[in-house]
Amino acid sequence: MFWNKTATKTQEYSESIINTVREPLIALDQDLRVVSVSRSFYEVFKVKPEETVGQLIYDLGNKQWDIPKLRELLETILPQKATFDNYEVEHNFTTIGKRIMLLNARQIQRVREKERIILLAIEDITERKEIENGLEKARRELESTKISEDEAREYAESIINTVREPLIVMDQDLRVVSVSRSFYDFFKVNPKDTVGQLIYDLGNEQWNIPKLRELLETILPQKSSFDNYEVEHDFATIGRRIMLLNARQIQRVLGKERIILLAIEDITVRREVENGLEKAHEELKDLAKELERSARVKSEFLANMSHELRTPLNSINGFSEVLYDETFGPLNQKQRQYVNNVLTSGKHLLLLINQILDMAKVEAGKMKLELSNVPIKSLLNDISLLFVDMVNKKEIAMQIEIAEDLPNIEADELKVKEIIYNLISNSVKFTPEGGRIGMRARKLPSEIEITVWDTGIGIAVENIERVFEGFFRVDTPYSRLTEGTGLGLPLARKMVELHGGILSVESPGLNKGTSARFTLPIVSRADN
Amino acid sequence: MGKKALVIDDNGNNLLLEKDLLEVAGFEVYEAENAETGMMLARRELPDIIIMDVRLPDMRGTEAATILRLDEATSNIPIVFVTASVMTEGMEELRTIGRSALISKPINTRTFAKEVIQLMDSL
Repeated sequence: MFWNKTATKTQEYSESIINTVREPLIALDQDLRVVSVSRSFYEVFKVKPEETVGQLIYDLGNKQWDIPKLRELLETILPQKATFDNYEVEHNFTTIGKRIMLLNARQIQRVREKERIILLAIEDITERKEIENGLEKARRELESTKISEDEAREYAESIINTVREPLIVMDQDLRVVSVSRSFYDFFKVNPKDTVGQLIYDLGNEQWNIPKLRELLETILPQKSSFDNYEVEHDFATIGRRIMLLNARQIQRVLGKERIILLAIEDITVRREVENGLEKAHEELKDLAKELERSARVKSEFLANMSHELRTPLNSINGFSEVLYDETFGPLNQKQRQYVNNVLTSGKHLLLLINQILDMAKVEAGKMKLELSNVPIKSLLNDISLLFVDMVNKKEIAMQIEIAEDLPNIEADELKVKEIIYNLISNSVKFTPEGGRIGMRARKLPSEIEITVWDTGIGIAVENIERVFEGFFRVDTPYSRLTEGTGLGLPLARKMVELHGGILSVESPGLNKGTSARFTLPIVSRADN
Repeated sequence: MGKKALVIDDNGNNLLLEKDLLEVAGFEVYEAENAETGMMLARRELPDIIIMDVRLPDMRGTEAATILRLDEATSNIPIVFVTASVMTEGMEELRTIGRSALISKPINTRTFAKEVIQLMDSL
């Protein structure tokens, strides 16, 4: 009994071991029937004690355990060797899916009895296998990465050689490891005099530059990089150069040593350009001052000239007008005609002077707008009436289309009149007898648009912008017939622009008519 | 009838033209070619209106006008400045002279006398 008691104790002890061990354990008798099973076995293989103990191992969990490899191990190998180690068995369990297990078994002779006990340890290595497979994959990837590291190096070298900027690679002792092709080209050194040399010794110690020493020996070790240090140096081979130096200190992946990458940008030419620009800028400033002064002189001159020219014109026009009006007695036909010629020419001259002066004023920024609320509808009608006689005489048809909703605008009334008068008189002038002219006015969202058109001589495509140059007279048979200053259109455009509008002229070509279109803001955008 | 006008202009032709036009309109016209003579005539004749060029050989028209305004006898005579200048500079000083107006050259011979008469009544 005592013994039995002891035996029971021993069994309890071994069972507690079985239950503590994380690894599923199963104890079988010599007929391969389950004697005892560890708690972890139930957990891992999702079986219950009542379905397990006393069962043939192959029948466990609906014969899930009837695994050929296991049969072989238990029935053939174990009886011969009394043990087997680390047999890997892969099996697809219905309850828990595909598992990879490592099986270890011991056949134990029970001390006092004849029967044997088989202890089977089942290690689930599915996850470990997965990790191992993952590791293997990672290792293979790493291997391929190793190939691309070589590729990367090649790539880097080709970058070094492709980049226009000279690059130099040094080891931690400042000896040249590699140099870009552009470096050789630029600094006129040979590969054999370069690689392995101390950087300062390159090209007959041309590179022994104090500033470079300071950068490489003091600044780089502290900061592991420096950017855009400007260094000026007189090289024996290539003369004085201004360089911009950039450096990076790079730790080599596997080695302890460092490499230093130094990029040298030659900014000599850029500096020269910059200095040149600086100088040009100064000269421009002087020039601007001079221009300002001469503009002032010009506008003073024009003011004086205009005064001096108007004074005699006052006499010419005044006296011829008095004569023509026969204030002091009658003239004969010829006298009246001649004095009228004097008066007409005098008035033309006066118009020229006024327009030149206006151009000068606009250009000097001295033309100011006298803004008021302009009843544009009635203004357009009034102006068109001024042309009725002229148009009838030339047998030209005039068509006026003014939109009903055309609003009043904020503008300089006199100048608006002048603009429209200029455009209509151009149309009348340049439209032969029997032609048509017209004016259209309409409201746009924030401005009004006025178009003056005609079926007249038009403008050749190549001359369309020249009409704004001033004194440009289209050379046609009509030029001789027409009177004008050649300043009407440029001045009209300036005055429209002064109001914040746009004036443009379009013509499909010679003898195909012209249309001049301009806009004026409804509420003035002029800054005075 | 018999209104007196004083015309001060250093340009003889313009002086003559203005004189003619005013005489045709019925004025009795006094002429001066400089400010000094003009001021002397103004004090002596006490015209109903003075027509004066802005640029005169001895002083500016506005200076002459200021002097005339200081003399009680001439302080109320309307002054019409006539100028060939179109620059806005200098226009400011004209505004400082009371009872004055501006006609720009070249003058319109058909309306000149009418304008002068209107200004004489309104200034």
